[in-house]
Amino acid sequence: MKKRTIFLSISLALMILLSACAKPASPTDQAPVAGTEEEVLLVWDQFYRDEESKVIETLNAEFEAAHPGVRIQREVKVLDDLRTTVKLALTKADGPDVAQVNQGRNDMGALVEAGLLLPLNSYLDQYNWGTVFSTSVASRNSFTEDGKTFGTGNLYGVSPTAEVVGVFYNKDTFKKNGWDVPTTFEDFEALLAEIKAAGITPISFGSLDGWNAIHEFSAIQHLLVSLDYINNLTYGVNNVSFDTPENRQAAQILLDWANAGYFSDGFPGIGYDDSNNLFKAGNGAMTITGSWLAPELMVDTDQEFGFFLLPPYEGQTGLAIGGVGIPFAIRKTSEKQELAAEYLNWMISPRAAELWAEAGMLPAMALPEDSKLETKNLFGDTLNAWNTINQANAVGHYIDWATPTFYDTLVAELQKLLGGISTPANFTEAVEADYAAYLQSQSE
Amino acid sequence: MANVTKKYPGESRWKGWWYLLPALLVYLLFTFLPILETIRSSFYQWDGFSQNKVWIGLGNYVELFSDPKFHNALRNNLIFVIFYSIIPILIGLFLASMLSRRPIPGFAFFRTALFLPQVISMVVVGVIWRWMFNPTFGPINSLLRQIGLDVFAISWLGDFTWALPAVGSIGTWVQYGFCMVLFLAGMQHIQDEYYEAASLDGANTFKQFIHITVPGLRSEIAVALVTTIIAALRVFDLVYTTTKGGPGETTMVTGFLIYRAAFTNNRIGYAAAIATVLTLIILVISLFIRRYQQQGSEESA
Repeated sequence: MKKRTIFLSISLALMILLSACAKPASPTDQAPVAGTEEEVLLVWDQFYRDEESKVIETLNAEFEAAHPGVRIQREVKVLDDLRTTVKLALTKADGPDVAQVNQGRNDMGALVEAGLLLPLNSYLDQYNWGTVFSTSVASRNSFTEDGKTFGTGNLYGVSPTAEVVGVFYNKDTFKKNGWDVPTTFEDFEALLAEIKAAGITPISFGSLDGWNAIHEFSAIQHLLVSLDYINNLTYGVNNVSFDTPENRQAAQILLDWANAGYFSDGFPGIGYDDSNNLFKAGNGAMTITGSWLAPELMVDTDQEFGFFLLPPYEGQTGLAIGGVGIPFAIRKTSEKQELAAEYLNWMISPRAAELWAEAGMLPAMALPEDSKLETKNLFGDTLNAWNTINQANAVGHYIDWATPTFYDTLVAELQKLLGGISTPANFTEAVEADYAAYLQSQSE
Repeated sequence: MANVTKKYPGESRWKGWWYLLPALLVYLLFTFLPILETIRSSFYQWDGFSQNKVWIGLGNYVELFSDPKFHNALRNNLIFVIFYSIIPILIGLFLASMLSRRPIPGFAFFRTALFLPQVISMVVVGVIWRWMFNPTFGPINSLLRQIGLDVFAISWLGDFTWALPAVGSIGTWVQYGFCMVLFLAGMQHIQDEYYEAASLDGANTFKQFIHITVPGLRSEIAVALVTTIIAALRVFDLVYTTTKGGPGETTMVTGFLIYRAAFTNNRIGYAAAIATVLTLIILVISLFIRRYQQQGSEESA
């Protein structure tokens, strides 16, 4: 309450102070050559972790070297901080020229609606971005000009990194017990039972933080539904329903796994990071989460890990949750749009791809042909998985983008389902109520 | 004589304001104006950054009072009052009366140790207790298993029945030391003669406690009530760091709804309406407690 308002006004005041401080570039750097004024590009990003930050620092330094007279002023924020401050900052005449803007309706959609982001369509042609990323990737960063319809219309951002949700497994445990990576969902479920019988936790999982439960459910869901369905659901078009037999079946499978004891003991009380730490320490044979965990699992551990996609049912194909990371966007009122577009192009260059890959993160762009990167490791597994679903056009979605309140609803309803408070049918009905209400409000 | 009256402090009334000015300015700028702005925002539909700000009158309030999520959150806040306020005050009274009447060795140490939770940041408290409650490696369940109470070794923060009491009891742990120290200070003003007279008249320790200690601590109890109830009603950080309102909506509180509405759902107006209602509730409760306190001082006078 009061605390929030104070916080809001203090951050506002700080922002005003900061932008006031940011204006005059330091005099020592300024105007090294008579007649050429230094150009400052203000960039906000959220790559605050060490290895990520180094990638950005390197790319920025190389950009400056390639563009004499240009200086990049970088501001790094953690995602939550960026999300709460970037919206107001983009309304200001001296706000960031380039900023990372989270995907989905509450962030990018709301900013497009308010007319604060620059459409990138002309640069898409100019820089041939169509050859850098697929249309499926582009739609994730697209909105109609009124900000109402997601997935079509103008392009508003470009993403440097990619993500795919799949199964991490402990190679040592698998080898010791003679288990193989399953190739069908039937095999996968049989393996779960086998691991359980061996007295090992099949899937390291904790639902205390909520959001990762969406991934557990939706990874199964992606094996049962079509690409058209998941696109329609996420982008809110063609009036699909959430209350479908497939979604109910996915919820039932998830519940069966919980009841069979396939998840960590006491999983409702375990957080995401704790469950990952347990897995990293050798507890649990597998864990279902996104490729972003790979860099962490490659250091400071004596275990060896691998990654595979949740396999489809026998004789069928399946989708996988995947997508691209938080995109860079350009402030509509920026006076340095050309330079900003050049910066965006730089961030999705082959060089950027190589640097991200070296840091163990999946680049959204193809690696250079002559890349000598080591790929016979966990990172190689995730890269393989990402390439597989890209080539098969099987990249699904984070379904929590579907409505502004979908995330909260899904988290609460999945916890109820797993806590035995509701049934799979209750679950799909409750989520559908949220979805239908949103579609209704959109058509008004 | 004229000189003396000139020096009288009551004369230059203006001077006092100059001393107040810096604090007053800060208060105006960072507390009072934001409160007014919050109330004003609550009559608008606004995402917090665009030009699109629509006056909807009492629309946000109408929606709020029919929102089952708000009812649930408010109910949870009231349950938090039991854990944040009632139980700590009872424990505080008990401990204070134990410690004040008969001096024990290491008194200062206990006083400080029991007060300690109050000075730790709530975020740290939340993180520590989340670890304490962890079903796999948390010390609470390890202890329960060691003494053979395996059935009680549940996943506390993820349990639909026990999550709310578990988070609430963290609040108890934070608040009771503060209540105790407050009551200890208050007890020093109660004259020993009362107790002596009472024991001569044959009153036992419990009767002395009810008829001397509790009435004597009326103002301190009022202060403890106001601060702890406010803490219970505006709780946010503890819920954010432990359960994020889950499982389901069992530990959802109004403070968290405000955060969610303002910062993830871009509904500044709605968030402001919740904040305004919450402030009013706190104001009314504080006034009630103040009245109780004043009545008491009139009676004893």
